[in-house]
Amino acid sequence: MSPVSATYFGISGYVIFWVMFIIAISLFAQRAYFLFRIMCLGKQESRFGNIGQRIMNMFVEVIPQRCTLKSVTGKDLAGLGHAFMFWGFSFFLISYIVFIGFAEGLGLYPYIMGGTFEEVYFSILDFAGLFVIIAIVWAAIRRFIVRPERLEMSVEAGVIMLMVFGLMALHFIIESFDFAALGETSGLPPISKAIAGYLAGTGIPKDTMFAISHGAWWLHYALILGFAIYIPRSKHLHVLAAAFNVFFRPIGPKVVIEPIPMEALEALENGDESVSLGASKIQDFKWKDMLDFYSCAVCGRCHVNCPAHISGKSLSPKEVIHDLKEHLMEVGPGLLAAKARASADVEAPAEGQSKSMIGDVVDEEKIWACTTCGACQEVCPVGIEHIRKIIQMRQYLMLVENKMPESAQLMLRNMQTRGNPWAGAQSLRLRGDWTNDMGLKILGECEENPSTLLWVGCTGALIDRNVLAILSLANVLKAAGVDFCVLGEAEACCGDPARRAGYEFQFQLSAEENIETLKNYNIKEVITSCPHCFNALKNEYPAYGAEFKVVHYTEVIADLIKQGKLKLTNNVDSLIAYHDPCYLSRYNEIYEEPRQIIQNMPKARFKEMERSKLNTFCCGGGGGHMWIEEQHGTTKINHVRMDEVIGTGVDTVVTSCPYCLQMLEEGIEQKGVKDSLKAKDLIEVVETAMKQS
Amino acid sequence: MNIIVCVKQVLDPEIPPAKFKIDPEAKQVVPPAGVPPVISVYDERALEGACRLKDKNKGKITVLSVGSEKAADVIKNAIAMGADDGFVLSDPAFENLDSFGTAYVLSKAIQKIGAYDLVLCGRQAADWGAGQVGSILAEILGIPVITLACDIQAAGTNIQVKRIVSDGYEILEAPMPSLVTVSSEIGLPRLPAGVRLMMAKKKQIPVWKAQDIGAEAAQMDKGNAHTEITGLSVPDRKTECEIIAGATPSEAAANLVSKLANLI
Repeated sequence: MSPVSATYFGISGYVIFWVMFIIAISLFAQRAYFLFRIMCLGKQESRFGNIGQRIMNMFVEVIPQRCTLKSVTGKDLAGLGHAFMFWGFSFFLISYIVFIGFAEGLGLYPYIMGGTFEEVYFSILDFAGLFVIIAIVWAAIRRFIVRPERLEMSVEAGVIMLMVFGLMALHFIIESFDFAALGETSGLPPISKAIAGYLAGTGIPKDTMFAISHGAWWLHYALILGFAIYIPRSKHLHVLAAAFNVFFRPIGPKVVIEPIPMEALEALENGDESVSLGASKIQDFKWKDMLDFYSCAVCGRCHVNCPAHISGKSLSPKEVIHDLKEHLMEVGPGLLAAKARASADVEAPAEGQSKSMIGDVVDEEKIWACTTCGACQEVCPVGIEHIRKIIQMRQYLMLVENKMPESAQLMLRNMQTRGNPWAGAQSLRLRGDWTNDMGLKILGECEENPSTLLWVGCTGALIDRNVLAILSLANVLKAAGVDFCVLGEAEACCGDPARRAGYEFQFQLSAEENIETLKNYNIKEVITSCPHCFNALKNEYPAYGAEFKVVHYTEVIADLIKQGKLKLTNNVDSLIAYHDPCYLSRYNEIYEEPRQIIQNMPKARFKEMERSKLNTFCCGGGGGHMWIEEQHGTTKINHVRMDEVIGTGVDTVVTSCPYCLQMLEEGIEQKGVKDSLKAKDLIEVVETAMKQS
Repeated sequence: MNIIVCVKQVLDPEIPPAKFKIDPEAKQVVPPAGVPPVISVYDERALEGACRLKDKNKGKITVLSVGSEKAADVIKNAIAMGADDGFVLSDPAFENLDSFGTAYVLSKAIQKIGAYDLVLCGRQAADWGAGQVGSILAEILGIPVITLACDIQAAGTNIQVKRIVSDGYEILEAPMPSLVTVSSEIGLPRLPAGVRLMMAKKKQIPVWKAQDIGAEAAQMDKGNAHTEITGLSVPDRKTECEIIAGATPSEAAANLVSKLANLI
């Protein structure tokens, strides 16, 4: 007999079932609608394009649990546990709908139960339940006894674990007592029947067994409904939000910084004070940012991978997201009320804004500590976009408050007066002393302009050490017969440091100016050396009308080697580690090409670093931090990385980014390992391997 | 408070010495090809001073620059920093003027603008460093001048200026309108607020020619110049390097001290 078809105290089980259901669903819907309205406080943003791709992402990331499995390492197996819990729980979720909803609730019992389907599905549930229980016990031991750095002790986590454990335990109680009462102690489902076999031997009366099974069934049902009520009110909201967050995550470039619309500017010029630049209040973020907050499960993967945190800065991406979420939930209801009043045309000051978001919730020191390396976003299982929140807050500080570290101000002023973030006149770009004998084609000065441009970049053009790498690049390209030109002094900073520092308009001006220059010369392809220029030109310039193709030199060189146009014949005879630049590997997923190039070098031995490819570790120079000072009293990020390099025991560390190169060399100098370790740009090693001696 | 700031575009002081060329015959600097000029560093400070006054007292900042039409860039940057308006004074007749000629041109432009409370100049230009235009301009305009300011405050109808002297500073007051030349001690020029950057970019900067401001050719004639350059040369730079030795760092330091004492 089904527990629902019974009558309790004269009330039909069906009535009890559906009353409970309606209460729970109402409470769930009430909270969900509230959360939806809070989310809509965020600014508009279109995340609906490429629906097909988005659905694909969900299938690829969520169902096979790539989202958590991707960060599983020997040291951190938690993702595996999550996957088992997810899969196991998913089977249960389906069973709740089919067996509890349809079979019991709708009375379709006779059609669903009693066949092979039930037998097989309950066998699956038996194993799913077992796996979930193992995973839960493991998780509890981890969180409360082992206590890894990234996790916090939390009551909520304990409640959730108990609930899930309770659901699984009740499943076995319901099934095994039922089977024991029916005397079915062998066959499928195997675990429940095995327990039933044990129970049958205890001599508990049949009726008691049925009663226990039924009681457990109702408890189980209540717990499921309780779960539905509790989830949207807890940090486990990620169960509901994360899948959507993965659906709405950026397609294409991983870090999306929206241009500030010209309309906003015009409104500001006309004295409209309601327009905000950047984010100073929680509702200045986009709705997707709000969804990000909902999705955060405070798993702390970002926390333990953040170079700022690892090097002792006060920034923790986990805390930023969590604190912003708490702030949103605190001020959200007041904002909703204010919005309602505003639509009813009643003037009233926004309530609940006694705390200022910048300062009280996230302090400026944290905002400036981020190198925008993207490690947090890469490991985040639920697709949270940390970086653009930091940048939006920087935008506000820069554009509205004019508050910034002095070092950032100097860099930006240089960019304004001289077109580059470094000190030194723009005219030195590709001029005079070092390019004289190379016969480089300078745009506007040669008879026929090639349609391929070598984009030198400010650092490659102006900083002595990096100039050497550009010289090597020019030599290699010429030797391989690539017809290319350079811009010389007409090349202005790509604007990346300004954009990452939040000085958005300078980026916009630089982008427009450079795009115009390149259009005038009819450039079709741009080869870049600096990954930061590469990222800006490739991913961010199209929004301002750029139509040229952008490639990084590592792609070009790998291709030239493949085509046989470039032959590496000289012995390199070094043990090489490759330091992946964040903006190349993580931002643009170019990490195989540099390795292919190294593999083609005669006698070069390669050692992979532990943090590499998509999970590389920042050199400390991104996000404007080549210029912005690091927090005093903390370890320098490049020294952390240098310790890792030294740990590999290589004699040469190569990279393909001018910032990384400078940072690595400084690290070598400071760590006093100059005699045993050299830092080189990959292209310099290519040149050595290529030269005919 | 209406403030007029006079700024000059100069050869980028950051170009390396090797690139710096002069023509001794023509007694002129030969600007290296393709080096965009920059705003003179002291003028930038004058602009910062004006912006601070405007922050406190409201009002309007107008920027003037005698030079090529390229000087529009400097004016745009000034507008981005906080100026409201600006004019480029460019005319073949304005080329190669001495300090007196430049001050004359500026005075005509200022008279055309009309009402003003304060004129600010940099203490000297970063290229020639004569430091005369400010004082001569005040003389022509018939207003008081205070040089080497490190702080400027409005005090009723007066202007109160902290002026750098060799062993400290003095505080002077003058009735408005006055002219003040600003020294670098006033502080770093601000980074333009983002929105102003875009506004400035769109702004058209008018160019005034000699006839627009009613400048008489005779006043700018070479023959009427008050100064004459008799020779121009690049200074010969010699550096001698001596490593001061010593058995211990403190002994080396003592040797260095006695060496320095002998030099004086």
